[in-house]
Amino acid sequence: MTGTDYAAGTDSTADTHSTARAVPVLPSRLNRALLAVVRIGVGLLWLQNVGWKTPPNFGRGDPPDGLYLSASYAVSDPVLPPFAWLMERFVLPNFTFFGWMVLLVEAALGAFLVIGLATRFWALIGIAQTVVIALSVLNAPHEWYWSYLLMLLVHVALFATAAGRYGGLDGLLRPEWELSRSWAARWLVRVS
Amino acid sequence: MNWYRRLDRAAIVLGLVSIMSAAFVFVHGTFQLVQIGTVGLVVALVLGLLAIAAGWLAERTLLIAAGVGFLLAATVQLVLLAGGGSGFLGGNASTFSLWLGLGAGLIAIGLVPRPEAIEETSQA
Repeated sequence: MTGTDYAAGTDSTADTHSTARAVPVLPSRLNRALLAVVRIGVGLLWLQNVGWKTPPNFGRGDPPDGLYLSASYAVSDPVLPPFAWLMERFVLPNFTFFGWMVLLVEAALGAFLVIGLATRFWALIGIAQTVVIALSVLNAPHEWYWSYLLMLLVHVALFATAAGRYGGLDGLLRPEWELSRSWAARWLVRVS
Repeated sequence: MNWYRRLDRAAIVLGLVSIMSAAFVFVHGTFQLVQIGTVGLVVALVLGLLAIAAGWLAERTLLIAAGVGFLLAATVQLVLLAGGGSGFLGGNASTFSLWLGLGAGLIAIGLVPRPEAIEETSQA
């Protein structure tokens, strides 16, 4: 069947199919609950894994470990030469600053995805952070590249489904934000 | 269910999450999602109970107080981590993340104007 069949709307079969296609999946209580489970699970992934980012050195030492070791794989086992160059020239020499950035971003990802606040915004940040991690460690020994691809895809799913609206604070607070004219509320409507 | 009651119920859930996180005092290894020390346990229980009480009583001020409490605890934990250890709270960056989420969530709920507050504002 072509798109024209739907657009014409003269065929009763086409009408039926068109209606069936328009029925969203999420009104099912089970589906909403499952989507909340996925969102909270992804939030817990970040929440638990920010725990091994340990300031003030973030693993910089002899021998290196933790976050510094992971980041250094971008240079020793490069995935993308320009990214490896960036890591070698700017990130590793200033690792305290970048270590703190990673800690704050991942802690916020855990915090906001678990409670489902501004979920679509944090899903985008999660996509960006996953790309950075993948570009750092994808060629490191014993890595399974699908784990990073799966991380990326699950954040895409959280974004596409606006997962915070199901069992999250986005769903609860959106009606209030939609009534408000403040810039913060308008922003929250867009990112929830 | 009244929308405001749903907000209060969400605050109760966040308080329960904090209390449940106290169980991680006894969990170590792979499934330790957050690191909770002895003082951190007190923080999790006291602020969790405060959030539950705030939701139960529909007290917006208490809600915001619990949220601010969690954000303060998260900030103190972060400062202690910057010093190179868990400090007296006994947590890690995961603890900071959890308390940041609970604090932000409770404050977001607490900032929603309630009918009595709206009436008071219009009378003034």
